[in-house]
Amino acid sequence: MKNSWILTMCRKQTEMKSNVKDFFSEWYIYIILIVFWVTSCSISPYFRTISNFSNIFESAVPIALIGLGQTIVILSGGFDLSVGVTASLATAIASETMGLSITLGILLVLGVSFVVGLINGFGVSKFNIESFIMTLGMMFLLKGIAFLLRPTPGGYIPESFQKALLYKISGFSIVAVLILILVAVIGITVLQRRKFGREIYAVGGDPNAAKMAGINVDKTKMKAFIISAICAGLGGLFIAARIGSGNSNAGDPYLFDSFTVVFMGGTLVTGGIGGYKGTFGSTLIIASLSSILQFMGITIWYHFIIKGLLLAGVVGIQLYIIRRRTS
Amino acid sequence: MDRLNKLPLFGLQPLILILLLTLIVIVATILQPGFLSYFHMTMILYGNSILGILALAQTMCILSGGLDLSIGSTYWVTVMAGAMLMKNHGFLFPMIVCILLGGIIGLINGIGISKLKIPHVVMTLAMMIFLTGILYVTTGGGGKGRAAEALIIFSTKRILGFPVIAMIWVALTLILYFIINNTCFGWKVRALGSNARTCYCSGINVDSVQMLVYFISGILAAIAGLLYLGWARTPYPTFQSGAGVGADITLKSIAAVIIGGTLFSGGRGGVLRTLLGVLVLAFLFSILSMVGLKLEWQMILNGIIILLVVGIHGRFSSE
Repeated sequence: MKNSWILTMCRKQTEMKSNVKDFFSEWYIYIILIVFWVTSCSISPYFRTISNFSNIFESAVPIALIGLGQTIVILSGGFDLSVGVTASLATAIASETMGLSITLGILLVLGVSFVVGLINGFGVSKFNIESFIMTLGMMFLLKGIAFLLRPTPGGYIPESFQKALLYKISGFSIVAVLILILVAVIGITVLQRRKFGREIYAVGGDPNAAKMAGINVDKTKMKAFIISAICAGLGGLFIAARIGSGNSNAGDPYLFDSFTVVFMGGTLVTGGIGGYKGTFGSTLIIASLSSILQFMGITIWYHFIIKGLLLAGVVGIQLYIIRRRTS
Repeated sequence: MDRLNKLPLFGLQPLILILLLTLIVIVATILQPGFLSYFHMTMILYGNSILGILALAQTMCILSGGLDLSIGSTYWVTVMAGAMLMKNHGFLFPMIVCILLGGIIGLINGIGISKLKIPHVVMTLAMMIFLTGILYVTTGGGGKGRAAEALIIFSTKRILGFPVIAMIWVALTLILYFIINNTCFGWKVRALGSNARTCYCSGINVDSVQMLVYFISGILAAIAGLLYLGWARTPYPTFQSGAGVGADITLKSIAAVIIGGTLFSGGRGGVLRTLLGVLVLAFLFSILSMVGLKLEWQMILNGIIILLVVGIHGRFSSE
């Protein structure tokens, strides 16, 4: 098990990354992605079309956004169970207010997400509430509000907003790809190169040590939850543009997907180790997986079985390797 | 004992709940004179026994410092399995299969959490999604099968006007109360919830206790499923687009446990508190729907109450 990716990832925190093995461990998820794409393309003629890849990138945008928020929260040592519902609420708000003005809708979604994140962060850091139960209570609250606003799917999302986000050049959705690249660049730079990112790692690794080192632990945790909620809100806006209406259930599956992509990307459940590079790679894998399964004629409900097994399996293997290393 | 003194609300919570319950009843009787009638009271019990049994299972998990998000899906899986089997295989065999099924699902959760050390949230969330997929693939998403006549009679029966389901709920509560307070296993569960490390160091087999807790939780979910099956005759699972099947009842069970006064961090609390929690929620929502407040408000109120309770507990324990 000496060459396992998790081992190298742990070692990397202290050592210089100079050899080829480290390169592979860093980018292993992208190698899986390329192998996956090549095999899928050779299996299915429908998979190797431009429209399919546009579809994959479009469905990857919300997962990438919500995954970024979840990565930051999990790195800081918590869980955010309210991301899916925040995205649902965002579609509900957007469908109610965008008819008046698109800017107003976006601002309102961002404002509400900010408040949600603030309350989550405040409860977790100032009131010492465990992050599961804090965000679980939040989930109840937001679900109720979303259903009050939008009891049945519907509402109005302006055509111009949809067209802008789903803008296609000769069938290829270029805006979605640009958003993905932007999210990846911001996510990776902030976590690796900025002070805030390093503080997140420190807090997740050992909150007491971080406190001794002069980091404001409460503030960092609060920031993590605020970013997570805002990312979920932005993801919700993109979902609204894709489905063209508001739906108080639309965001819920993304809670599960966000966990899968974070853990598949090599971020540890215990916090402090991992990063957005892996999350982003596994986002593309998860988005492509749904697509290839559909082309193979497997209905959506088998995806649930596969995704459930995948999540438990990935986390189980990850923790098994760590225990092998530490014992 | 230091920790106890720092939690003044913890000891008072049942008292506050009882006061709240009397207040609700008084207000409700003023609004609607028939509220306190024997029939209406038993109706409320009848309607909440399933939730009550699931909340008992959730109490066990939370007491041991865990959480079972898959409880609602386990419940639905046993409901549908029972309905499909009872069509051809009589009465007793499907019941045994269902209870075993619930136990096995719980055991898998327990193995994942104790042996593989997967965090309980992740493990049971994965199980919820997995079971949702299995349920849909096997049933095709609609109602299927039918409960055996004997089960229907049993579930809807009333003895002296008191529903049998509610009797089972109360009986299970008392049994679990005895187990938690008077047996070695119960002490171990509470010790595990208080401090897993100390528990391990003092020679308790943490893994087997954890596995047993989730096993019991699965079995209780199966019992609730069978009772519901007799009640609903031909059950229709509600598949939502995103969240797994049974997510709503799982959330309600967690709410009942927290409001009842079991600490979410584990170790302190009990099933009698949960009984009280379920009753408070049931009476509260009964009066709210009488006033004409919609279901969405119940969710919002649930969320606010949970956040208030854990917030106050957290505030006190941090000082």
